[in-house]
Parts: sequence; structure tokens; C-alpha cells
Amino acid sequence: MSFVTQRPLELILARNLMSALSTPAFLVDEGGVLAFYNEAAGMLLGKRFEELGSVGPEEWGSLFGPFGEDGAPIPYDELPLVRAVRDGRPAHAEYTIRSTDGSEHSVEVSAFPILTAHGSQGGIAIFWPRGMGSNGAGPA
Amino acid sequence: MNVKLWGTRGSIPSPGPETIRYGGNTSCVGVTLNDGSMLALDAGSGIRSLGLSLPEEPTRLHILLTHLHLDHIQGLVFFAPAFRPQTEIVIWGPASPEASLRDRIARYISAPLSPVEVRELPCDVSFRHAPDTEWEIGSARIRAASVSHRGPTLGYRIDDGDSSLTYIPDHEPALGADLDRLEEDWISGFALARDTSLLIHDGQYSDAEYPEHIGWGHSALGHSLAFARRTGAERTLLFHHDPMHSDEFLDGLQEEARRRWVELGGDADAVDLARERAEIELSARAASPAVASSPAATA
Repeated sequence: MSFVTQRPLELILARNLMSALSTPAFLVDEGGVLAFYNEAAGMLLGKRFEELGSVGPEEWGSLFGPFGEDGAPIPYDELPLVRAVRDGRPAHAEYTIRSTDGSEHSVEVSAFPILTAHGSQGGIAIFWPRGMGSNGAGPA
Repeated sequence: MNVKLWGTRGSIPSPGPETIRYGGNTSCVGVTLNDGSMLALDAGSGIRSLGLSLPEEPTRLHILLTHLHLDHIQGLVFFAPAFRPQTEIVIWGPASPEASLRDRIARYISAPLSPVEVRELPCDVSFRHAPDTEWEIGSARIRAASVSHRGPTLGYRIDDGDSSLTYIPDHEPALGADLDRLEEDWISGFALARDTSLLIHDGQYSDAEYPEHIGWGHSALGHSLAFARRTGAERTLLFHHDPMHSDEFLDGLQEEARRRWVELGGDADAVDLARERAEIELSARAASPAVASSPAATA
């Protein structure tokens, strides 16, 4: 008999929640592999998750070229999501990402680890375009 | 493997003239393995009758708890073998960061809710967290996995010889998800139920009732059927009937379940509503599942 291995339930529930959110959100597993991002994130990045699929940490870390204010690429190890999963605590940063159509977006990113009875199972990053209101609404 | 349903009701025991045929006792399934080993799946009020059916001679029993909601443990203090010194009982259940399985169960088996304390039970009882990896009881291999419900909750799969039983009585896999589109590894409980000989699954609500109960941890009929179809279960018993559902209502739900199962490409006899005291003998696996496991096959 061949068994399909179920993802950790906490990741399944996180994905289900993210699917219903209009806030761009990114989900990685405990190994840092991109597990899912929602439609809102897809609009920001210019590519739906279904088009990209699951990719490893180094790939997604550079795919959308996070840049600091000085224009230099942010090292993978310093990305909030990577820090959150590695350190087991929330992380926050502001940077610029580049969409697949070449447009750039200045965003704030908050990431937190998914800690379970079996240890860390991954992490979630939520993106907020800078300049948005506290209710998520953009400038009129 | 012999499977007997001692309690099929969810939430609260619901005895009365309107629940005679499907039963009013809460969740409990007795399983006799091929080597004679005895398991009880959950310890709702149905376990009282299971206990009365067992011989008084020295016995070793395993009770596999899916979770600790009252309708799954309330029969423990009325389980006759627990009051016999010659009985050894191993209780398996979900781990929680809050407290041990024993301590959480002791909240119920203690004053003022119970006249006896766990330490006073005459039997030899032990408590074990269900491991992440497969383990053996008698002739069977057991697997447990966390499933979508409220609080730490497990589903179980029991493989014995060529047959398998999957038991997920409290389950809301469609919460925020489209079961027809989701990848297999992203479906709660999928790995436990894949190609199983018999799936005993939550069927608490009709589709019309579900919108008022989203997030309560249970399935609508359509979700249960979608889950059964995706996993390729050979036979499905819808379980954990809502206490408000009379025999008459459940007759209608069974008719609807069978009709919709046929529309999905399955055999009408492969889907039933669980009835208290029903007994199922699981023998060699059928040559192929009742319905295709791929959504594309019936799209």
C-alpha cells in the first residue's frame, strides 16, 4: 500500500485560513520550502501559486528580489520569514519586491513561526503594501 | 477484523422512541482483530454496552480515543471491565501541550463529576500518547494523525491482514477548503483513509444545516461524500449523528447519501448511515475501490 503523507494539520489549517484572506500571505514548511501563497499574494507578485508551485527556500528567497532601501538584495538569511522559522519568534521588515511584470512594490512584512506540539512546522509571512490604512484599505 | 458499532450518536446521548433504529448512544466502536485482540474506538456512552458484552475472564483491552470531548469519554466510568482487577486497559489518545492524557481524562474521572478517581479504578490502566509513527496492537498496525476538529483530535487507521478500518468520527476537512480541488496531502485525514476497506466518518449535518455550524468541527453530507470519494474508501459509514436527527430524518439522509454517491460514480450499497449494534466483518480487500480516487475520473 502506498501512503500519502499528510501535511501537518497546522499547515493545512493555515493554508485554509490564508485562502480566505484578502491580505497577501506566504506559507513555508519547517524546511523553508514554499508551501503556499494566496491569491492576494499572487496579485502582488504577478504569478499565482498554482503557476509557480512549491519551490525551495533559496529559489523563493530570490525569486521576487527583495531589496533594501539602498537597492541591495536582502540576503536570504535575513528575510523575516526565514528568521521567524529559524529563531522561533516573530520578525518584521520593510523592503521592496519586484513583480513578474517588472513593477516594484514597497511592502512591510510580518512573519511568525508555526509552533506545535511536535515543534516548529513552518511559518507564515503577511505582506502589507506600505501606505495602506490599518484596515487594509489602500489610498483612495 | 470484526467491527461492531456500540454508539453512533454525536454530542450527547439521545435515547428515545425517535432514535431507536440508528441509536442514541455516543461514539464507541468495538473492533476484534484477527488474532482476537480487542480494541474500543472512543468511549462514549456506547462503551457501557460493549463492556457488558465482554467475558469476565482476564482481558487486555486497548481504548483508542480520538479526542477528549465528553461524548467520546463519558462511558469510561461505566465500563464494567475497568472495575475488574484482572483487566488490563491501555488508553491511547492525543497529546496536548497543556497536560498529560491521564491528567486531562482525570478531570472527568474525579470529583465532583465522578464518584471514583482514576487511581481508584481496580483495573490495571495505563495512558499513552498516540505516537506519530505506526505501531502494533495484536495482529494490527495502527496509525494516528491529527485531523481538523476543535482541539487536539486524532483519526485512526487499523490495518489487519488485508483489510483496513479508518475511523474519523469528528472531522471538518472542508473548513475553508474545496475538497474536490485540494491536493491529496493537503486534505486533513487523507493519508489515513486512502483506499481503506471501511471508512467510519463524521456525517453530522445535512448540507442545509452546515452553514449554521461552520467551524464546529463536523462535516456536511456533501463534505463526507467528497472526502470518501477522494480517498477511494471502499465502503463508508456516516457516523456521529446529530442528536436532533430522528430515525425518520436519518432515513431521508441515507437515501440522499446513496443517491448522491451513485451520481458521483459509486455503488449505492457502498454508503450507509451507521446504526447502533450493526456488525461488519472485514475480510480480504475487494479488487478495486467502490469509486475512483481521482476527482478527474468523475468530473
